[in-house]
Amino acid sequence: MATGPETLARMRGITKVYSRGGQDVRVLDGLDLDVGSGELLALMGPSGSGKSTILNLLGGLDRPDAGTIEVGDTEITRLSSDELAGWRARHVGFVFQAFNLIPVLTALENVELPLLLTPLGKKQRREHAEYALELVGLKDRMDHRPKQLSGGQEQRVAIARAIATDPTMVLADEPTGDLDRASADAVLDILSRLVAEHGKTIAMVTHDPAAARRATRTLHLEKGVLVEQGTTSHA
Amino acid sequence: MRLVPFRYTLRSLVVRWSPSLFSALGIGLTVAVLGGVLALREGFKALLSDTGSDDVVVYLRPGAQSEGESIVRYPVDTNVLKTRPEVALDASGTPLAAAESYLGLKLDRTDGTGTTIVTVRGVELPASLRIQGPRWRVVEGREPTPGSDEVVVGKPLTSRIKDTTIGSTLTFNVTPFKVVGIFENDGAYSSEIWGDVDRICAALERPFRQRFVAKLKPGTDVAAIATELETDKRVPVKAQTEKAYFAAQTTALGGVLGFLAGILTSLMGAAAVLGAVNTMLAAVGARTREVGILMSVGYRRFPVFFCFLVEAAIIGLAGGLIGAVLVLPFNGLQTSTTNWNTFTEIAFAFRVTPSIIVTSIGVALVLGILGGTVPAWRASRLVPTAALRRL
Repeated sequence: MATGPETLARMRGITKVYSRGGQDVRVLDGLDLDVGSGELLALMGPSGSGKSTILNLLGGLDRPDAGTIEVGDTEITRLSSDELAGWRARHVGFVFQAFNLIPVLTALENVELPLLLTPLGKKQRREHAEYALELVGLKDRMDHRPKQLSGGQEQRVAIARAIATDPTMVLADEPTGDLDRASADAVLDILSRLVAEHGKTIAMVTHDPAAARRATRTLHLEKGVLVEQGTTSHA
Repeated sequence: MRLVPFRYTLRSLVVRWSPSLFSALGIGLTVAVLGGVLALREGFKALLSDTGSDDVVVYLRPGAQSEGESIVRYPVDTNVLKTRPEVALDASGTPLAAAESYLGLKLDRTDGTGTTIVTVRGVELPASLRIQGPRWRVVEGREPTPGSDEVVVGKPLTSRIKDTTIGSTLTFNVTPFKVVGIFENDGAYSSEIWGDVDRICAALERPFRQRFVAKLKPGTDVAAIATELETDKRVPVKAQTEKAYFAAQTTALGGVLGFLAGILTSLMGAAAVLGAVNTMLAAVGARTREVGILMSVGYRRFPVFFCFLVEAAIIGLAGGLIGAVLVLPFNGLQTSTTNWNTFTEIAFAFRVTPSIIVTSIGVALVLGILGGTVPAWRASRLVPTAALRRL
C-alpha cells in the first residue's frame, strides 16, 4: 500500500495471537493501519477487540506474530529488544489508564525519567521537565509524590512524562478511563492542545465518546478488524 | 548505556525497609559469625606469631615440629651449642643461651570443671629470662631463685588454674613447688609456668631437655646456620628464629579455625543468600509494574537488571555493616583454648582487625549480590506489556 507524505506510522498485515487458558486467540488478523503525522487518532471498540494491542505494537512494547510496522523511516519489527527500547526512548511517549507513575519519585523526577536516556545535561533535563509540567499546568506540584496528587493530576504528570522528550508520537491507552468527568476533560484539553498547538501525533484508545469527539479521526475495531472510520473537526 | 537513577533504587529500599532490613540482618549475622571466628584465629595467630623475636634462635631435634616432640641431649648437646659462634654473650662473657624443658601437665581448673593441660617450662636462671628481655617481666612477687623449688605463673593462668596465686603450692609428680611470682609475656609464654630447669627435670624425672634457645649476635644469617646444623655430625639440630617457630605453631589450630570459618560461612551464607533471594524476588514481584514503566519509557534490560542488583548489593552492604557492629565488641575479649600443636591450654584475645572488617563487609556484599542476581535477571526478562498489566 502506498503511503502519503503525511503518514507517520504504517502497520501492514499485522497478526497477533495470544494464548489464553491454553487456547490461541487471534486478536489482530492481517490488520493494515496508517497513522498520519499530527493527527489525534481515536481507537474505539469493545473490550478484547485489539485496541490496546495496536498501541502496544505501534509503541514497540510488543511484537506482532506477522506483518510489519514502520514508524518514520524505521521498520521497528526488525529491531532487537534493546534496540526497540532505545527507539521507544527517542520516539514514543506512553500515557496509561492507570497513570503508571513511579510512586517513590516526585512528579518532576517522574517526568525526568525518560530525559535521563537522552544526551541532555542535568540543567537542561530539569528545564525540559519543568516545561513539560508547565504545559500540563502542574509546575507548582513538581515536588509532590504521586500519592499526594489527585487522579487527574497524576494523569497530567504522566502526559508531561510522555511529551518531555518531544517524541515522534504519543500513545494513550484509555487516558481518561480512571478519571471523573472534569479531570477527564482537563486531560483531553491537554491532548487536543498538544496536537493543535504543538503538532504532536497522538493515538488514543478510548471508550469515552467525549474523548472520541476530540479526535481528528476515529477508528472502530471489532474482533481485530477495522469496521468503521470517521473523522471529526474538533481537534 | 543509561542506568536507572540511583535515587529510585535507594527510595524503593526505604519504602520496603522491613524485608530489606531482615534480609540485611540475616547477612549481618552470617558475617558476624565469620568475623568472630576470623578474629579468634587472628588473636591466636597474633599471640604466637607476632610476638616471637627475630634475634632469638630456637634449636630443636631435626624433624620436630614443636618442643613437645623434641629432645636435646643434656648436657652433651647443650654444652656444644653454648659454644656456637652465633650465640651472643653478656657483659661478663657468659653465653646468652639456655637449655629448657617443656612438659604439659594436667592441672585443676579453678571453676571445678576438671583439669586442663598447662605448659610447665624449666628454664635456666637467669639466662632464659635475659634472653627474653623486657618482653617477659614479673608483675607481682619475684623471679624464682636458681636451684630452688620455686615457680612463677603466667598471669592469665591465675584466674583459670587452681593453686597458681602467690604463696600457693603446685605439686609436680611428688615435689611441691612454691609460687613466688606472677609474670606477663607479650606472646606465647603468657600461659605457662616457669621454674628452674634442673629442679623441674629432677621432679619430673626427665634426663634431657626439649629445646635450646640463644640470643643471636647482630647480623647473624639464621638460614645459613640452619643449613649448617641440619647436617652437622656432632649435634644435628633444627635451628630457626623464635618468630618463625611460633608462626609454625599456628598451623593446626589456625587451620581448624580457618576451616571452621569456611564451613560456617558457607552454611550460614547459603541461608542468607536464600533470604536475600526471597527479599529481592518479593521486591521484583511488588514492583513488576514499575519495571514495565521503566521499560516503556525506554530503559533496556541491563539497566533494569543492574538496578535490582545494586539494590541487593546495598542490602548486602548494610548486612556487612551490621555484622561489623556485631563483631566489634568481641575485640580484646579474652578466651582460652587448646593449642592443637602442643595440646596445652593457651589463653588469648579476639582480634578484630581492619582486614577482618573489610573481609566481612566484602563477603556480605558478595552474599547480597548472589542473592540479587536471579531476581534481577527475572526483572530484566519481564515482558513490558505483561509487567504493565500487573496490579
